[in-house]
Amino acid sequence: MMLALASFLDWVAKSRWLVYIRDSSFGMPALQSVHLVGLTILLAAILVLNLRLVGLSMVDWSIPSLVRQLKPWSVGALTMVVASGIIMFLGNPEKYLASYPFLFKMTVLVFAILSQFGVLRRLSTMEAGATPGRREIFVAGLSLTLWFTVGWAGRAIAFV
Amino acid sequence: MSLLGWCQWLEHTPLATAISESDWLFPLIEGTHIMALPLSVGLIVMFDLRLLGLAFRSGSTAKMMGDVVRWSKLGFSVMFTTGGLLFMTQAGKAYANGFFRAKLIFLLMLGINAVVYHAIFYPRMAEWDATGRTPLGARVCGALSLVVWIGVIICGRTMAYQF
Repeated sequence: MMLALASFLDWVAKSRWLVYIRDSSFGMPALQSVHLVGLTILLAAILVLNLRLVGLSMVDWSIPSLVRQLKPWSVGALTMVVASGIIMFLGNPEKYLASYPFLFKMTVLVFAILSQFGVLRRLSTMEAGATPGRREIFVAGLSLTLWFTVGWAGRAIAFV
Repeated sequence: MSLLGWCQWLEHTPLATAISESDWLFPLIEGTHIMALPLSVGLIVMFDLRLLGLAFRSGSTAKMMGDVVRWSKLGFSVMFTTGGLLFMTQAGKAYANGFFRAKLIFLLMLGINAVVYHAIFYPRMAEWDATGRTPLGARVCGALSLVVWIGVIICGRTMAYQF
């Protein structure tokens, strides 16, 4: 199974369009740019939501309506980040699989996504003007910590 | 002193050499610069979407601007501090880099755009909140900000590939 996966990844990494993207002068900067623009919009949407959750910004919005406004943009941004990330990974799978920051990043990413879609959905009953409780502050803090840890781990791939 | 001479002098200041010689200072400053993107540019982009009528349509524009700009100021102070430090350590190379030059021109454009918005549209935001219609000029400012900020990110990321 693992062997089949390894040879599949190797085959994908040698495919002509991936090699072209990886080795051309504009391929990696373009992918990284898409990754960063997506990150900026995704984490900004998460910031807006979490700042609202703790009552520090956008307090005249109810959580459900804010979630509705942010959803198409965060889903679009997440698509940009994930798609560009997958292409970068497939261009050089051995490098990423051997990188501890990368493995750490993927682990935290799973928790970040779970906390975002699981816990925040339950909080979506909070009305406009409602004051945050201890639970809201904890969830917002956890969500921001997880997402920004993903970002920092991503940066560390290049340095470690 | 020429501009290039100033850049080279900057690169050899004690602060710049300390950053270049440290193993962890440069990655830390660069990481902070990138991780401040959502808090600075990201929040401004959220407000641009509001100006363009692409999100947050039902609330007050004036109120949202207050909410968003207050936090983005924190983000931009981190951005300019870390950006200044990163520039110092590689000022000579940055000087010759086309993408860095484009980034500076874009930032200048964004500064002018923000001043124009503040002078012309900001004082009358309460009026258009009442009518629910964003003036065309304000929407143009929002569109410009959105597109040029994305340009800044692209130039910032790409310039590092030429160092």
